[in-house]
Amino acid sequence: MNTKQPIRSAIPYSRGNVKPLLNEIIHALDRLLNDDEPTAIDLASLPFAPGELDELERALGHGELSAELDALGKSLIRETAYPGVWWVEHRNTGGEVVGRYIEITRSPEILMSQDADIGAGRARLRESLEDSGHQSNKEAGK
Amino acid sequence: MKTIPTLGEILQAQGVSRRGFMKYCAATASLLALPPAMVPRIARALEQARRPSVIWLSFQECTGCTESLTRSSSPTLEGLIFDSISLDYHHTLQAASGDAAEAARHAAMQENMGSYLVLVDGSIPMANPGYSTIAGISNYDMLMETVEGAAAVVAIGSCAAFGGIPGANPNPTGAVSVRDLVKDKPVVNVPGCPPIPMVITAVLAQFLTFGRLPDLDLHGRPTAFFGQTIHDRCYRRPFYEQGRFAETFDDEGARKGWCLFKLGCKGPITYNACATVKWNAGTSFPIESGHPCLGCSEPGFWDKGGFYAPLSTGKFGSGGKLAGAAVAGVALGAGAAVAGRRRQAKYTKEG
Amino acid sequence: MDLLEFARGPALQVAAYILVAGVIWRLVGIIFLKEKPEFSEPRKPGGLMAALKVIYTRSFTAAPFKRATLYPKMLAYVLHGGLFIVVFLFVPHIVFFEGFLGFGWPGLPNNVIYIAGVAAVVSGVALLVRRLTSPVLKLISNFDDYFSWFVTMLPIVTGLLMPVRMGVRYETLLAIHIISVAVLMIWLPFGKLGHTFLVFVTRGTTGMVFERRGAKT
Repeated sequence: MNTKQPIRSAIPYSRGNVKPLLNEIIHALDRLLNDDEPTAIDLASLPFAPGELDELERALGHGELSAELDALGKSLIRETAYPGVWWVEHRNTGGEVVGRYIEITRSPEILMSQDADIGAGRARLRESLEDSGHQSNKEAGK
Repeated sequence: MKTIPTLGEILQAQGVSRRGFMKYCAATASLLALPPAMVPRIARALEQARRPSVIWLSFQECTGCTESLTRSSSPTLEGLIFDSISLDYHHTLQAASGDAAEAARHAAMQENMGSYLVLVDGSIPMANPGYSTIAGISNYDMLMETVEGAAAVVAIGSCAAFGGIPGANPNPTGAVSVRDLVKDKPVVNVPGCPPIPMVITAVLAQFLTFGRLPDLDLHGRPTAFFGQTIHDRCYRRPFYEQGRFAETFDDEGARKGWCLFKLGCKGPITYNACATVKWNAGTSFPIESGHPCLGCSEPGFWDKGGFYAPLSTGKFGSGGKLAGAAVAGVALGAGAAVAGRRRQAKYTKEG
Repeated sequence: MDLLEFARGPALQVAAYILVAGVIWRLVGIIFLKEKPEFSEPRKPGGLMAALKVIYTRSFTAAPFKRATLYPKMLAYVLHGGLFIVVFLFVPHIVFFEGFLGFGWPGLPNNVIYIAGVAAVVSGVALLVRRLTSPVLKLISNFDDYFSWFVTMLPIVTGLLMPVRMGVRYETLLAIHIISVAVLMIWLPFGKLGHTFLVFVTRGTTGMVFERRGAKT
């Protein structure tokens, strides 16, 4: 993304969506720190002027951590330059955006391994060990 | 009724992980314009949901609504067909034709009696059934026969919802809307010319997820997407308030992206989600691209007095009639003057 | 035809015909009345110049009455000024006039209009209160006074409600606003509201007659 490109929107910064959103994020961070309460903001519902979404992304910036999820299409889960503020972008198999959230949380839940998947994975691992015929597994006997 | 697998079972069978399912639920929440806090509830609902059978009837339409849906990105139409719904009948998309197609329709109706969804695009001609028939069956007959065992009917596009362009003046085919004919089943209107594709799929997703239809406004439109006017969510609204308007297309104001009220924008009286959800996966919408809103999700928008006539112009009719009123005024005034002068003469004589 | 179509179409049309016919009726009916014969010698030339002069001078209160009329005069100026700003300097209204005049003019930002509108309503209410509480005014006020006040206030109030909404749909409020303007247009030629065009006739007549007699006008 070219950060040097000028904003196309004629809406002045003071009247647009970016400033109030950043304020909302600050309040959400307060709730996270004081009450351990996460917040998710759905960006799809906001009437962005042309260029404002880019402006918001630029304002939040990139942090240390970035993860790519590959399930029913690619998803991007990236911590912004402000720890606790995550940019989550879901795309479908066609590459189109199906969801865009700002999550204010210690860690978005989708990053964590889910119980159902852990259970299924364990079963697969067990199976693959049995197939390769390891003696130790038979002795351990589950 | 044969057992239909739940969506959870279908996704599991397809090898979709729990994470993938969570992503699907997040996308569905966004699609339904529900707050992110609802995602767990959506997940629980979707796990248990069974794919509804959907019969799509196309009447007097331009196929724009189907075209719009095939551009729908969330979820993809292929995903929609195979995961969320069972599209058992659709003229444009189905492979079968003729008798085989009609047989498929009847089979779907029988197997899912009382629980299938009927989607309709296009208006229904009442002046003469011959104006629009399918396999020799008139639109009216097909509609009334198919909705008998339906759980609900969704009228897609302004033609099915309000009569649309066939219903515009002088309405030669006697085109009517679905609501005009179907009185004993719930009818959801999803108007627009065409409707925003995401809105169409959202109604289906709502039915899939929660097993019921969304809250509707007085025109039968889901309030989640038709509850606000374009004007109230338009990003150019600050310019309206400041009094900065584009006077003509491509003048300085237009290039600066100022308000299009003077160019005939019907945003203030149009209820739709174009300003927030936008078109082509959130790329833009007519006003953002520089064209005033046509008001295409409102009843009778073709006959509302011109796309480029500003909302606050009156329709005064001919100047001739006003001139006639002026002449009438002169005549009445002359009469009043004559009567007044007679009265004056009487006083002067007496006085 | 829904309410908005009715308001923008037949309602406005009929109101326009009645307005035009009514204004011309009253003007013609008054102008062609006989002049009372003046038997005294003219002290000063009367005529059109005198009429124009008095139309102008009557805009200013004569010295003995200044104090007593200050309060209602201020209220009236706020009401008329607010009305002028709201009617002629609000862009959607300018577009309305452009529709049949063929030309428009620049407008003011919306928040100025809202302030002017609220000021007009407040001064209008204050004037009504004055009319109801002053013993003299209460005695001499009739249906014409109160109804004229009502049809003037209604468009301003309905217009101010439109950005506020108060749970009513925009197109309904717009239709009610336009209909209230139509009612105003229909009533205007016939009651006290006729002063909009008759004030010039009355002042002018007074000027012509009194100037000729040499009175200080």
